Amino acid sequence: MTKMALVINQERCIGCQACALSCKMSNNVPDGMMWNRVISVDTNHIDGARGTYPNVTREYLPIACQHCEDPACMKVCPTGATYKDASGRVLIDYDKCIGCRMCMAACPYNARVFNWNEPVRQVGFNYGDKDVPVRPRGVMEKCTLCHERCDRGEEPMCVVNCPMRARVYGDLDDPNSEASKAARAADAYVLLPEMGTKPQVHYVK
Amino acid sequence: MQLTGKTKGVCIVLALLTIVGIGCWVFQLMGGLGITGMSNVNSWGLYICMFMLFVGLSAGGLIVASSAHVFGIESFKTIAKPAVILSTVCICVAAAFILVDLGGVQRIWRLFTGPNFTSPLMWDVCIILIYLIINILDLVWMGKGADDKVRKLSYVALPVAILVHSVTAWIFGLQIARAWYTAIMAPIFVASALDSGLALLLLALMLLDKMGLVKLEDGLVASLAKLLATFIAVDAFFILCEVLTMAYPGAGEAAALSQMFSGATAPFFWFEVVGGLLVPFVILAVAKNREKRGMVALASVLVVLGVAAKRAWLLLTSFIMPNVAGGPGITTGTLSAQTGNATSMWATVGTYAPTIPEVFIAIGVISLGALAFVLLCVKLMGGDSRAAVDEAVQPA
Repeated sequence: MTKMALVINQERCIGCQACALSCKMSNNVPDGMMWNRVISVDTNHIDGARGTYPNVTREYLPIACQHCEDPACMKVCPTGATYKDASGRVLIDYDKCIGCRMCMAACPYNARVFNWNEPVRQVGFNYGDKDVPVRPRGVMEKCTLCHERCDRGEEPMCVVNCPMRARVYGDLDDPNSEASKAARAADAYVLLPEMGTKPQVHYVK
Repeated sequence: MQLTGKTKGVCIVLALLTIVGIGCWVFQLMGGLGITGMSNVNSWGLYICMFMLFVGLSAGGLIVASSAHVFGIESFKTIAKPAVILSTVCICVAAAFILVDLGGVQRIWRLFTGPNFTSPLMWDVCIILIYLIINILDLVWMGKGADDKVRKLSYVALPVAILVHSVTAWIFGLQIARAWYTAIMAPIFVASALDSGLALLLLALMLLDKMGLVKLEDGLVASLAKLLATFIAVDAFFILCEVLTMAYPGAGEAAALSQMFSGATAPFFWFEVVGGLLVPFVILAVAKNREKRGMVALASVLVVLGVAAKRAWLLLTSFIMPNVAGGPGITTGTLSAQTGNATSMWATVGTYAPTIPEVFIAIGVISLGALAFVLLCVKLMGGDSRAAVDEAVQPA
């Protein structure tokens, strides 16, 4: 089995949003939405601080699809549009999506975005990876772990463009991969383990 | 088929509202769901509230009609036909609300070519289709006077009716990511279906009585009203159980509860508790009030509105607080975000208000249902009743 995943080191993250923007660029994500975001945990603002001065902390959390082992979104999809591929990635077959938004309600991580309108792009043309399909209005989309890039032997764009090398991409089922080693570290954790979705994306704090 | 002048007028108004609704729906099909108030944070709204409401409203009819046979309540048999017509129309309205809510309605055939049976929505598609078939069979057999078939069907209809509400509840109640995740969701849906469905049935019967299509005995109104009071009490009890369970540990769901008590969904919650449960129960608990049609009608209207309010708080409370919270939040994907309004691109909490076209689509769907109900009643029962012929001003 293959279980492709990201391991994100929050200690290294400087909140520059490069991963969020390279994702948006590479995947032709339309205006008004993003697949990948960097949030400042427990605050209301970008680069916000938690606590009261002088006792403040800041925690950056890059968050996108967690590519769960047991994805809640896949279970509730009535048409099987959301599926897990042979590499353990959670993907969407856009042709099958009827836009019911069950998956959006089921995802504990708010990782999904919906094409409520005809997708538009400020520049007026499609951009990014040539192999990424254009999504029509009325379908769901989200992080694909850049499967078009990775299937060609490259790494996800967020990993490539992270200036702090905070993101590691690899196979969790290969005990010798960098990702697998990082995910086994004592300080590695997953988001909301109590939801039972078994995220493959791991974080290190 | 005969329609009185007044009925005709009402039908014309309903038809106009339906046309406006269809116009708005076409507008929505052209522009996308972005014309509604929904967003990536609050991803279900008025349509799904109305879907839940109308699945529930369709309960009263079929349950009363089949109880007539299953529990041998003779007096219910006289109203079985209008009850099943109401039930059929309501379930069609509910299904229509799912259709208008779909972003890719043109791909709906995918439900049948590649069904995923782990999805509660797929279960709901199946059970609603079965329920609809039972309703139609019931109507056809009643029309032919095939009493034995109707009696046998009742034994299937009653459990299926209970299941329809349970499965609809499971669409929500099985989602661990939301505050909906509770075992009592299905019982709450069944209870709400029983009280709102019976209340709507009472209102419909009183209307048909006025139109001369049904002869409604006062004794039957009183006994149905008594049953309604019982259903209200059961509904209230289930809600109390849920609220207490949410509140007591003070963790997790307490945040959602504070939204219900004093936050964004509080007006709906308190309207239901006071206006939809307490007041109608007090009205109907008094035997004298159950004799007065005006009081029964008032209580019934309140119950239906109360359950409508419940659908709103039940659905929307879960969308307010994201599980992983942090600034700038979640990208909303709305029309306004798309057209460069930077402040509406991000949201740390879920907010929702239906837009005007969204409201008109909902009114249109309901009007179409009401129109279908009136016309079906006149067509299927016009011949049964002398009064209808007597009161008809002119043939249609």
